[in-house]
Amino acid sequence: MKRLKAMARAYREYWRINVLTTLEYRENFLMWFAFTIVYHGTALGALWVVLTAFPSMNGWTFRDMAFLYGLWMLAHAVNNTFFSEIGNIPDHVHEGEFDRLLVRPLDTLFQLIATPGQTFPDELILAVSYFAAATWYSGVHVGVLFLIFVPLIALGGALIDLGINLIVGTLAFWFVRVDALQWIVAQLEQEFTRYPVSIYSRSVRLLLTFAFPFAFMNYYPAAFFLNKPENALALPPAVGLLTPLIGLAFVSVAYAFWRFGLNRYQGVGH
Amino acid sequence: MAIIETADLRKVFRSVKRRPGVGGAIAALFSREYEEKAAVDGITMSLEAGELVGYLGPNGAGKSTTIKMLTGILVPTSGSISVADLVPHRQRLENAQNIGVVFGQRSQLYWDLPLRESFALLRSIYDVPRERFRENLDHFIEILDLDEFMDTPVRQLSLGERMRGDFAAAMLHDPKIVYLDEPTIGLDVVAKEAIREFITQLNRERGTTIILTTHDLADIERLARRVILIDDGTIIFDGPISRLREEYGTHRTLVITLADSYEDVQVEGADLESREGNVVRLRFDRRRTSAEALIRRAMERYALSDIAIVEPDIDSIVRRIYREGYTEGAIGSPS
Repeated sequence: MKRLKAMARAYREYWRINVLTTLEYRENFLMWFAFTIVYHGTALGALWVVLTAFPSMNGWTFRDMAFLYGLWMLAHAVNNTFFSEIGNIPDHVHEGEFDRLLVRPLDTLFQLIATPGQTFPDELILAVSYFAAATWYSGVHVGVLFLIFVPLIALGGALIDLGINLIVGTLAFWFVRVDALQWIVAQLEQEFTRYPVSIYSRSVRLLLTFAFPFAFMNYYPAAFFLNKPENALALPPAVGLLTPLIGLAFVSVAYAFWRFGLNRYQGVGH
Repeated sequence: MAIIETADLRKVFRSVKRRPGVGGAIAALFSREYEEKAAVDGITMSLEAGELVGYLGPNGAGKSTTIKMLTGILVPTSGSISVADLVPHRQRLENAQNIGVVFGQRSQLYWDLPLRESFALLRSIYDVPRERFRENLDHFIEILDLDEFMDTPVRQLSLGERMRGDFAAAMLHDPKIVYLDEPTIGLDVVAKEAIREFITQLNRERGTTIILTTHDLADIERLARRVILIDDGTIIFDGPISRLREEYGTHRTLVITLADSYEDVQVEGADLESREGNVVRLRFDRRRTSAEALIRRAMERYALSDIAIVEPDIDSIVRRIYREGYTEGAIGSPS
């Protein structure tokens, strides 16, 4: 209990430092912010272009896809805001900074998650605004279930992101540099969350559901809220509400792998 | 009561055998050969609370591997460690609360922010009570002269200032044991002196146990009473500096300044070490030739304007041990 309180205080302090550091470079921050808007704008623009050519994709219209994208953006923004430093594990290992984390009296992963990665809630604010607009645009019914589950789904989706990043980051204990893999995973995630998973072959759908559960970040929940009659694997529509649990399960697996990698690091150095 | 104790500590690394050049690197993509090397090969030592020990050895001798095991970063291959009654790699977080670590080459301060912010963060990381934190901070600000740059971003500090900040950062939680890895590397004379003074005070006034690894033997000479010398992963000497000097530093140098010019200077019982103009350095073994006899002989032959006897500094002693190896007693015996 005392330990948890100390961790909560340290977390607050980390965030204070984080915000201070970000604001130290105001121009850099503003450029990132502008880039984030342009980035998501382009992605949506591309979707619109595709869907003016084909009015629907497996029964999904542009309005549906705007909502699908919004759900992913929300989860991804939660991850980028709160867990971004996980992606920098390889740099910590590579530059030998990792040892510093090991000689401090707080859990190593906690320190990484809390470490200032120069993040600011800008992306999250943007994602929430966009999601609100996309919800209105797509005509999804906003009821109690929606209001309770959307935040949980965003968090669950962020945990899926975190899990993937943690697994890839842990590989740095063996290979030191894993930037190629990080890039590939980021590209695949973007690719497979942009369109309804039902457009892909069965093996890809299975993979995105059971191995790398990106489909739970947005596809299944979106299919549920948009009342799509059937989903990629003919699962009951309510699986769309399982995202928080899937996120927890996936991150637990990733955490076990992280512990394994950490033991190896302490066993052999690098 | 020993605060740090290790018994037959070993750490074996398995590494890829590297072949030279781009060709070698490409070949290594396809077939790899591994080699095993014991970086630390059976180290047994015991430190009392409050000791200040210099831990020395050439590059690759196993110094930092030992420190990494003592701090809990690495798990030993075999052997046992106890640090303040804890096993560091098993009770890493508890152990972390007891220790402070300063890596001279690597800062733990936040680059873009003033010292003050890094200290505040460390207070919460180590959960230091507010009053204790304030007392310590005030104390360190005073003795390390941090006042004038407490509010400057760390990236704008000089190396000496940053180092002083790093020292304060490592001590804010009252560690019982402090590991200093090359703490004066790259510093100028004044900054070095400030850091040494701080280390002395820390050890004397707070009774902090300190392990110091360094290549600057002046640090050791100035700070440590005891040195542990390692090479190839094993301890080759463990004892007071004075003993090292006595056993190893059997040679002295007689420096004479000639009042006249002489062609060839030779004094029986001593070897010519060097000569620059009128200043001649003669090396002798103090067990075979007494300084007095040597001076008398020199004065009989030459007109001298100055005489000095130079004791070997710890630097040259240690350099010789690295080169020739250490054998107790046998060192320096005439060959």
